[in-house]
Amino acid sequence: MKDFVDFFHEIGKLKGNPRRGWVINSIKNPESIAEHTFRAAIMAWVLSKKKKNFNIEKVLKIALIHDLCEVYAGDTTPYDSVLPRTKKKRAEMMKTWPRFSNSEKKRMAREKYNKEKKALEKLISKLPADLKKEIKNLWLDYEGGLTVEGRFFRQMDRLEDFLQSMEYWRKYKKPPQGPWWLWAREHFDDPILLEIIREMDNKFHKHKKPRI
Amino acid sequence: MAEREKFYLTKKGLEEFKKEYETLKGLRIAKTKGEVPKIWESEDLNPEYLSFQEDLTFLETRIVGLENILKNACLIERPSKKKSNVISLGATVRVKVGEEKDEFTIVGTLEAKPSLGKISNESPVGMALLGHKVGDEVLISSPIKTIYKINKIKYN
Repeated sequence: MKDFVDFFHEIGKLKGNPRRGWVINSIKNPESIAEHTFRAAIMAWVLSKKKKNFNIEKVLKIALIHDLCEVYAGDTTPYDSVLPRTKKKRAEMMKTWPRFSNSEKKRMAREKYNKEKKALEKLISKLPADLKKEIKNLWLDYEGGLTVEGRFFRQMDRLEDFLQSMEYWRKYKKPPQGPWWLWAREHFDDPILLEIIREMDNKFHKHKKPRI
Repeated sequence: MAEREKFYLTKKGLEEFKKEYETLKGLRIAKTKGEVPKIWESEDLNPEYLSFQEDLTFLETRIVGLENILKNACLIERPSKKKSNVISLGATVRVKVGEEKDEFTIVGTLEAKPSLGKISNESPVGMALLGHKVGDEVLISSPIKTIYKINKIKYN
């Protein structure tokens, strides 16, 4: 039982860890990693109902564990390697979506994967073998998109981010929405999630369209 | 894995799925015989396969998933020389987006990994680029309009 308590205590740290993407955008009181996980899981559950032959239990478990590695690996953003030091320059950079060469994209993805895998293995190391195996496999499914559920949640995860960005934009007029739309139109291909994005656009941009 | 009519795959993608399928089938046979497969000593082994070593259910699920993919696979053919100046599935496209340059390959949904430069033909940008040629400017409509200028198209 001691190992369970230690595990629960460790993952509880995600309740207090702010998401880095909002921190670098200077958002006041940004949401925590655990808060993101909470809504992503609910969204995944609700929208999975629209899918045929779908294992909702698996999607929910993937949702719950997908960011556990961040207890030790921390949260990362695509901007990290190019982030200027001054707030003014940072704000300017947030108006564009960072683009990298394909070899840089591969290198960054590999480094992130290795770091997060190591962190997850450390976090679950004291859990019983069956649970350890299950968590690791769910994470591999999410990372590699091995099943239809893993691939769906990978996009679902980003949809929650996108929704949060629109909510902050309405409240604080940041982060700039241009890079988010650029990114979204290259990343999402699930028809249900694309429909949700259209509805999000109607809700948040109906009266005032973002200019950047 | 949910049934799907067709999975469009590049030649490389199809080969990778086939290789994974054969490897995992080999592991299943070895596991049911209680052997420790030699493949674990291979340096080529994808580290993710190590999870399959420990979990037969995970292995079975993946094998069934791969069977479904291979059964419904549709190979993306390289277009004829005449049509190779037009973006179709499998094309690697160099674009200018605003002031930034980027390069991505248009693939089917299974191979799509936008963070690695592979975007799905079912994504809004993937769909919009299909059928265009070098020099075309493709307008992607969203709350903020963006133009993708096509600088180069190649097929590997």
